[in-house]
Amino acid sequence: MAWASSPCSKLERKNLHGQDAHATVMTVLQLEHYLAVGAIMFCIGLVGFMTRRNLIVVFLCTELMFQGVAINLIAFSAFHQNLGGQAFVIFVLVIAASEASLALGLVILLFREKNTLDADAWRQLRG
Amino acid sequence: MLGFSVPSIVALSAPLAEAQAAPASSSAPILAPAVVLLLCIFAGIGTFLLLPSRRDVSFRRIGAAMVVTGLLILVAILAGTEAGMGVYFWIFSGVALLAAVRVITHPKPVYSALYFVLTVFASAGLFVLLQAEFMAAALVLIYAGAILITYVFVIMLASQTSPTGSSASFISEYDAVSREPLIGSVVGLALMGILLFVIFDRGNNLAPRVPPPHEDAEIVKMEGGTQKLGVYLFIHQTVNLELAGLILTISMVGAIVIARKRVVYHEGPAGRPEVTVAPATPIDDNPFSIPVFGTVKPGQKAYPET
Repeated sequence: MAWASSPCSKLERKNLHGQDAHATVMTVLQLEHYLAVGAIMFCIGLVGFMTRRNLIVVFLCTELMFQGVAINLIAFSAFHQNLGGQAFVIFVLVIAASEASLALGLVILLFREKNTLDADAWRQLRG
Repeated sequence: MLGFSVPSIVALSAPLAEAQAAPASSSAPILAPAVVLLLCIFAGIGTFLLLPSRRDVSFRRIGAAMVVTGLLILVAILAGTEAGMGVYFWIFSGVALLAAVRVITHPKPVYSALYFVLTVFASAGLFVLLQAEFMAAALVLIYAGAILITYVFVIMLASQTSPTGSSASFISEYDAVSREPLIGSVVGLALMGILLFVIFDRGNNLAPRVPPPHEDAEIVKMEGGTQKLGVYLFIHQTVNLELAGLILTISMVGAIVIARKRVVYHEGPAGRPEVTVAPATPIDDNPFSIPVFGTVKPGQKAYPET
């Protein structure tokens, strides 16, 4: 645990010496650090999603939550040396892009209807 | 919750020394549950004060100071564990989290979007540290390059003009006052506390590292993460990749259908040409208005196209 460098250099060092391909890239402790960053980012996005009233900022906060999840997936991908996590993030990006395009189209439509971006203007949708 | 927090409050004063003394492979949690709880309460109050409202500016400054202090305490405790995290991890994660806090607390949406770009760049740095170079590049390209530009365009399209005319410092009411900041902060930070508790207290129960299941010769012989990822995608995820393309196409068509406008030029009063703008796809919830071939109903709605 004395090496205070990034995991990247560890892998390169291992590969340079021709050792096994499954070099020790991450420990559980490092994984916990990345998971904590992802969790905190997700919760910040959640707070923004619940408290902000501007429709555009609300959708921006969902993107923030996507970011937290993506950090988690990439961290597990590096921890298990499994490319499935990165592939999953690609699909998360696809969903985020399509969600953003559809949501922004809806925001434009709603803005034309009421001439405001206030989410409370659509209070009637609560039923 | 009090059950586990009260006895460990006694040991609260020395979590840093304890964490420093603990070897990395020991089963003791890095963060005591009480520390997580107190940090979350602290950051929650800070977030509550920082959220946009008509409060005094000094209160928001206090909130910002509380959030930054909470983050610094967390960093100090975690850095004491000497888990081999490089300095870049702390820089990138700190920038990402502070920018994320600014995204949800800045009253102007344009600045929120720009702070989100900062968050995306910092996350891309974290991805590079995790050897996901291709994902870092894709994140910058797609998020900062495409999605955020679209957001900024929509913000400019849908901006409200100020009633007084001076638009420089005008913040509309729904941007300046947030909805239920107290409940939102409590719920979000409670979830954060639970997540951090589970991560740091039960982290040793994480599944042991197993050799990768996809030990295909095509993947192993590839050089570099990007080539490996590409080969992995086209060996194991081919159908999903095609479906992703299909989803993107569908969402593009859907966005066009939702937001397209129909512009009609016609003669107005006094012979002047007029322009009328209407949604290209009329919103119609009357099931009897759907035109059925071969029947003519008097109640049928006239579509602009017909």
